[in-house]
Parts: sequence; C-alpha cells; structure tokens
Amino acid sequence: MLTPAELVWLIAAVAKGDQAAFERLYAATRAKLYGVVLRILRRQDLAEEVIQETYVKIWNSAGQFNPGLSSPITWMASIARNRAIDLVRKKSELSLEDEPAAMEVAADSPDPLARREMTEELKRLLECVGRLEPDRQKLVLLAYYNGWSREQLAAKFETPVNTVKTWLRRSMLDIRECLGL
Amino acid sequence: MDYSEDHICLAAEYALGTLDAEERSQAETMMSTDTEFAAVVQAWEFRLGVLNQMVGSIEPSPELWDRIRAAIGISGEQQAPLVLPEAPLPEAVSPEEAPPDDMPLIDLSDITEPQASAWSPVVVETSNVVPLTGQAQRWRSIASVTSALAAALVALIGFQLFAPDWLPDALRPKPRTEVVEVKTSAPPPAPSAQYVALLQGQSGGPAFILTVDGTTRDFTVRKLGAPPAEAGKSYELWLISDKLGNRPRSLGVIGAGDFTARPILAAYDTDVINSATYAVTIEQAGGSPDGAPHSQPVFAGKLIETVQPR
Repeated sequence: MLTPAELVWLIAAVAKGDQAAFERLYAATRAKLYGVVLRILRRQDLAEEVIQETYVKIWNSAGQFNPGLSSPITWMASIARNRAIDLVRKKSELSLEDEPAAMEVAADSPDPLARREMTEELKRLLECVGRLEPDRQKLVLLAYYNGWSREQLAAKFETPVNTVKTWLRRSMLDIRECLGL
Repeated sequence: MDYSEDHICLAAEYALGTLDAEERSQAETMMSTDTEFAAVVQAWEFRLGVLNQMVGSIEPSPELWDRIRAAIGISGEQQAPLVLPEAPLPEAVSPEEAPPDDMPLIDLSDITEPQASAWSPVVVETSNVVPLTGQAQRWRSIASVTSALAAALVALIGFQLFAPDWLPDALRPKPRTEVVEVKTSAPPPAPSAQYVALLQGQSGGPAFILTVDGTTRDFTVRKLGAPPAEAGKSYELWLISDKLGNRPRSLGVIGAGDFTARPILAAYDTDVINSATYAVTIEQAGGSPDGAPHSQPVFAGKLIETVQPR
C-alpha cells in the first residue's frame, strides 16, 4: 500500500489526465475498495459494476479531491461505498440473496485489529462508539459495514423500524458529541 | 451556517448509509446546492471512514481494469502489466506473532448476520478469473486466507496509510526528499486552483500537508506523520522566499490538532506564495517570541498545483 502522501500525488496527477498515475492508483487501491463494496453488495457482478463506476468517477473528478478535508483512501472509499448503498437501496424490493447469481462472499466479520495497530482516528471513533449501549454499537457497525437498511436492522434487532430510526439518530448525535464535532 | 439536528442527522445517516433511496436522493440534492451541507456530510464520511481500516482487501477480477479503461476511453497502448504494490506482509506479521492480548475496544466478532456460520470465509469466485502471475497471485492468496492474517494485513495497510513513522525500518516507505516539484514560473492561481506542499524532513515520511486555496489563499496544515511537539515546544510554520530577501516570515504556530487553518497567506503576492519554501521549526511553546526562527527547519517543502483550473 502506498502512503497517503503518495496517493495524494497520484490523485493530483490523475486530475491532470495522467493515465499511468491512474493505473498505479487503481493497482494500489482496488482491493481495498472492492473489499468494502463486496461486504455490502455480496455479489461479485454488482460489486465490480460499482467499482467500475467508482474509478470512472475518480478519473473524472480527481480535481475535486481536497487533501485538507479527507484522506485519499477515505475519499475514494466514500465514492465506492455511496454507490454501493445507492444500488442496494434501489434494489431493495428484490432481495439480493434470492437471486440465483447471489454469492456468499465477504460475509466475514470485520477483522479485529490489535489496539496498538489502530490509527488514532480509529481509536477515537471506536471509543465513542464503545460508549453507546451494546445493542446500538452493533447497530451502527452493522449499518456501516454491511450497508443494512433500517428495515434490515429492525428485523435483526426484532424491533419496530421507528425504534431503529430513533436509535440511529440518538447514536449519531451521541457520537458527534463524543467526537467534539 | 448552523444546521438543525435534523440536518445533522440526515448528513450523519447519509454517511452511515441507513437512509432509504428517497432520503438519499434528497440529501444528494441538498449536497449539490449547499456546499456547507456537503461539507457536513463529508466530515461524517471522513470520521466514519476510518472503520474501513478493518475491512480486508479482496482482489476484483483482472478483467475489471480493462472495462474501466474502456469506460473512460484510455487506449491500451501505453498499458504496462499491472504492478501490484510491494507487500512484504507475511514476513513482517504472521498470525502467530499477532499479539492476542491486545484486543480491540469493541468486540466485533458477532456482528455478522445470524446465519453467518453457514457462510464461507472470505472467498473470491475464481471460476471466471484468468490465472494471475507471481506477485498478484501472492497478494490474492494473502487476502483470502484466515481472518487473523487478514487482520494483520489490514493493520499494516492502516499503518502505512496513516502513520509511516510507526513502521519498523524495513517497512517504512522510502524517504523522499525531492518529491516536490519547484514551480518558479508558475502562473498566478486561477480560481478554484488548489495548491499542496508536503512538508518533510531528511528522512521519514511527510510530517505535514500544507494546502493553499488559490482563490482565498487560506491555508490548511494537516498533521500527517509528525510526532507531537515536545512539552513546552511548538511547531511553527515559516514562509521563506528569495523575493523577500530569504528572511523567514512566520505563518504562525501549528496547533496540536489534526488541522490548522489560517488566512495569513492572503498578505503575500501570488508569486511569493507559489515559489516560496515552507518550513517548520521547533520553537518555544506559543511560537517564536521575536519573529525569527530559533531552530533549523525540521520539515520543509514547496507548493505544487494539485487541481487544474477548469
């Protein structure tokens, strides 16, 4: 993996139309973005479709990346994740699992990292998530990692959708306060 | 603008991903018309995005690159074989060596669906994948084995991304002292141009990233690999330009937080800003008392344009 600074340079070069830089950027980041997207979509064909759209968007809007506001990998992962969520929400009427092509991939839980291996930002966020009630910790992490809708979360927690709505809202405000945002 | 709790929650849930399709498109419309709201969303995406450090890497199929290239109209002529990033991971951290005592703050082990036990571990469909060669094969197999190894892998990616200084010597990215191109005859910043400088020392990764808005000339310093300033000391940022007789001009103390933003550069000419060297020294707490630096620069760099004016 390249350093954030190297990724910043690559994105800067991509903004100027540098195709070789784009290829290096793709090589350095595709597996991470694919891992993020596959967890949410759980189908290889859809995940690759989203990754394709993501890199097309990165090629076209690399100039909009501001290293003062986000890390390069977070910026790229946000593009990929948003597309995956958009897709999964629009397709929610037909259950992904029911389709014949559905694949059981990327269903692993997120990999636990040793605490000393985490970045400060991650530790801080996890400390704040850790202050939520246990159920709500899971609620937030399931939503983020698996891209679950409120309905899916309601089914998992055996509680009305409106309750999930309230929990999510409260949780995000608590996290915000804890992070000092 | 101060946003209501409703707006803040909308932004947060957009980033979290729990809005339904209609609410998402509502939020997207707001983001496209209200840059401040877009910034609130982006701040949430940035805060939550660190969670992706714990998601393992999985290789997509090799044909995907061809499809992306075709989609953006890149010709295949200049395409070299894909070179994967050097990944000296298995030697560095084997699962056996991963300390079991340092547990994560939150137990993530049971947040998969109830039927998770019936699911296979990370598996990549390989039936329609052409054989990969050498390093790629290795990378793929690394990414698809046990979760402990995947955890180590992700941990290392996290390290290299955010804190190169914590890496053992062998794994540290090579020090780069000449990464900043000098643009002595750069044209004045056009509207919307963004300039960036990596401030780094003689060895080790970049310590700070300096970003300058070409229009407002506001600058932001983002802390990257710099160690915290010692007790009783502060990092201070200086502008050094031959157009100003090479006398360092203070741009102020860099705060202890991740970001420091200031409008001070507006006082300088475009030419000076573009060609100056930006240097960081260690001063007494609160900064140099007499407007002159008291140490050799520990980190320095020059600006390059990162965003093409359009």
